[in-house]
Amino acid sequence: MSLVILDAFDTENLIEKALKNLLQKRGETFFYFKLKEMKILACRSCGACEIKSPGKCVFHDDMPEIMRAIAPGSLILMLTPVRFGGYSSQLKKVLDKLMILVLPLYTVEDGHLLHPPRYGKKSLLVIGLTGQNLPGEEENFRLLAARNALNMQFTHKTLLFTPTDPMVKIEQEIDRVLCEVKPG
Amino acid sequence: MNRKRLLLLNGSPRKAKTSYVFARTIKHLAEKKGHKAEIIHIIEYFDEEKHFDALKDIILPQDILGLITPLYVDTLPYPVIWFLEKLSCDLAGELKGKEFFAVAQCGFPDADLLHPLLESCRYFAKAVEMRWLGGLGYGGGALIDGTPLEKLGRKGKKIISAFTSALDDIVEGKNISPSAQGLLTAKIPKILYRPLAAFLNYRKKREAYLQGVSDADLTRKTYLENYKL
Repeated sequence: MSLVILDAFDTENLIEKALKNLLQKRGETFFYFKLKEMKILACRSCGACEIKSPGKCVFHDDMPEIMRAIAPGSLILMLTPVRFGGYSSQLKKVLDKLMILVLPLYTVEDGHLLHPPRYGKKSLLVIGLTGQNLPGEEENFRLLAARNALNMQFTHKTLLFTPTDPMVKIEQEIDRVLCEVKPG
Repeated sequence: MNRKRLLLLNGSPRKAKTSYVFARTIKHLAEKKGHKAEIIHIIEYFDEEKHFDALKDIILPQDILGLITPLYVDTLPYPVIWFLEKLSCDLAGELKGKEFFAVAQCGFPDADLLHPLLESCRYFAKAVEMRWLGGLGYGGGALIDGTPLEKLGRKGKKIISAFTSALDDIVEGKNISPSAQGLLTAKIPKILYRPLAAFLNYRKKREAYLQGVSDADLTRKTYLENYKL
């Protein structure tokens, strides 16, 4: 399994530590991207990545580095603080540009009109750290992750932790879920 | 009549497209009713064409803020999340007690897809202690593509009616009534998905062909080229 970690936390955090510990123990190799330190320009919805430059953004930033890791990979792990029941801006800056993982064409799968994947089916593991934890926020976060996975035709799992969760619990949960996620 | 001041936030990085057309219509409708409304483009603050610090003076006199935004990858676009994060960090005190609503639009004609986005707007309102008046979702925004609603015939009239009805509630501080959403909702039967996919694929491939791009180019795996296991 080849892993790509997209870490949207601004600073070092428990989830990153637990995940790196676990992957070391399991002997997994992985690509790790600290998104705050990367220059990713906002998607302008210019449409150039559809026809003019198929599968490639025409603006020059650090996305190719991430894409070279994701394209052949089988599992994408996204780590983010939960913001307003969704992702933080640090994660969304990359996600908006991951539309190049799908083709600008359409297919119908299980009653859904979707874009076919450009690089085959993969798995997505979304890990969120709740903050204010308003009622319903977690459900919205899970729904968002499920929609992302559906649209990219990936299998997926979502995990949510609180700032008070002990590292050992975080490690165990991620370990359990990593055994379950398999590329679709 | 109690005159209200509305600040409409255009969430689209493309300043003259569908979200702007919606914002412009809501502005005109509000002004027709004797209220004051202005539009700002979030992308201008994101790109630092305008100073975020100047927003404080713009927000202070407003009664109601409305976000009009496209859907990007199942939720709010990156610059909009950045903007809301910054508002909640820097201007929460100024926002507290004001009213907030959202209008979202997506390319595919299914407004249900906008649910996570509108929920995020609701959570933002809670986080900064604004009063959430509700959200409206429009599926099929890509087909409008910046055309003024007045020029869209029956479809445009329906959207304007929905905004008029929602605005009646908004300026009275009431939650947007479900009937406004009802006017905006049009679902394509699932049985039509396959012919629709075939039509859209034909159109996209033709557009590519006319630009000298072959089917093979269109489906290129750019980031696997020169990749070795």
